[in-house]
Amino acid sequence: MIFGSDSSTFKQYLAEIWQGRFFWMSLVRMDLRSRYRGSALGMGWSLLNPIFMTIILCTVFSTLFGQDIHSFAPYVMTGLAVWSYLSQSMTLGCMCFHQSEAYIMQHPSPMAIYPLRVVLGNCFHFAISLGLAILLALWGTGWPGLLPLLSLLPTLVLFLIFGWSIACLFGLMTVHFRDVKHLTEVGMQVLMYLTPVWYPAKLLQERGLGWLVQINPLAPFLELIRAPLLDHVAPSPMVFGSALVVAITSFCLAAWTLRVREPKLIFYL
Amino acid sequence: MASVELNNLGLTFTVRHDKHITLKDFLVGRIFSGFTKKPMLVQALAGINLQVREGQRLGIIGHNGAGKSTLLKVLAGIYQPSEGKRVVQGRISSLFDIALGFEQEANGWENIRFRCYLQGETPPGVLAKQQEIAEFSELGDFLNMPVRYYSAGMRVRLAFSIATAIDPEILLVDEVLSAGDLAFQGKAHQRMREMMAKAQIMIMVSHDLEAARSVCNQVLWLEHGTIRMLGDANQVIDAYQHWASVANQKGESNPGGHVVQAAA
Repeated sequence: MIFGSDSSTFKQYLAEIWQGRFFWMSLVRMDLRSRYRGSALGMGWSLLNPIFMTIILCTVFSTLFGQDIHSFAPYVMTGLAVWSYLSQSMTLGCMCFHQSEAYIMQHPSPMAIYPLRVVLGNCFHFAISLGLAILLALWGTGWPGLLPLLSLLPTLVLFLIFGWSIACLFGLMTVHFRDVKHLTEVGMQVLMYLTPVWYPAKLLQERGLGWLVQINPLAPFLELIRAPLLDHVAPSPMVFGSALVVAITSFCLAAWTLRVREPKLIFYL
Repeated sequence: MASVELNNLGLTFTVRHDKHITLKDFLVGRIFSGFTKKPMLVQALAGINLQVREGQRLGIIGHNGAGKSTLLKVLAGIYQPSEGKRVVQGRISSLFDIALGFEQEANGWENIRFRCYLQGETPPGVLAKQQEIAEFSELGDFLNMPVRYYSAGMRVRLAFSIATAIDPEILLVDEVLSAGDLAFQGKAHQRMREMMAKAQIMIMVSHDLEAARSVCNQVLWLEHGTIRMLGDANQVIDAYQHWASVANQKGESNPGGHVVQAAA
């Protein structure tokens, strides 16, 4: 059940996750279905939510600050898509183990599947809003070219790894300290204003606050999506490298913490 | 060839007064140590040596809090032992807390699928089984309704029907399952007997000594988390009954596992 120090037990752990795939995939499907159960629009809500936010923000920014709507609308849309993926991975990740308590109590499964359940659900919504963002970018700034679009594929892998890692870490923290969930929600509000999600990064640079973006570990993930869609270039090696470092570091931290805490986790639920 | 082996196995866990501490308590407690209540270390199981081979029907008896259910959960792999080793060959199917963990918003059919997948089924396997499960549960059209509207009895019926729709190699059972109304109970007992007969190894926790006597060929008597006696079913149960009647006369009560120490 635990990551071993050698690679063979790690492989075995991965194999166990794979063996349980029907279980966690059915949980993900159910999460998606029950989220919109009883609502007239159903899945439509996950389309409408980012659309409305983009319309509101674009109206405000283009009338107040004279932003060009063609480049600004896709900018906001990509920002919101990435941000809601990251923040949901953290806030929903907090409850990932508690939410699945009954299964943990009944059947020994690799604990890694519970953050995975959360993140795969998020990925679905991310894919929808990213699809919208791509359409909007096509309308606003034209065809980005094949290579920049293809660069989104490795990007998505990084998103998956990073999302799983933060969901796992915040889930583990919440198991031990119940107030982490509330702290996270407050923290995400603060972090949102420190990250150029819906305001232009220029605004910060003009005020000499560009370093805020440079030290922000979430900023490269925004850039990974924006470079191909808005600037029509593949992300620079620097951006890709920093996102890779952030994703791998958080993955190692999450995997190591899970390895240490997994055997005792059940006693804290 | 199924087998279960526990070598010098022990399980210790910490219990807190308020179970969860907040981050604030943790940080403040570090500065003003002594403010937070100290967690207690509970030795739930200690020095358990056990070998179960194919064909054995093992019953676990003992007073409340002796560690019976904990031992079963260790056998199932749900609790990781703090000391010692657990070696299991064969697929484990466990029947405890079955009524827990229904997805409230999902309907009966969907819950059948989740449970089957959790038990390690594949989609073709679930397709083959779900009709049989539905029939056994006798829930009919209710299966199209979200589980949140089910009565307690209906839930148990559904849970039991799913949990027992397996061909167990190693079967772990906690207590006798009382499922649904009288008619269903008869059916349920019949099915339990079939399953127990089919399983290569069966391990059950029981308060009903006569049931243990009739079903098991070996019995383990657990006391304070250690093995007091292990051997032929009738012998161990006789010894336990004798001991219990003597203890009763003395008016002794038996608290659960040892509280070893107050951990720093």
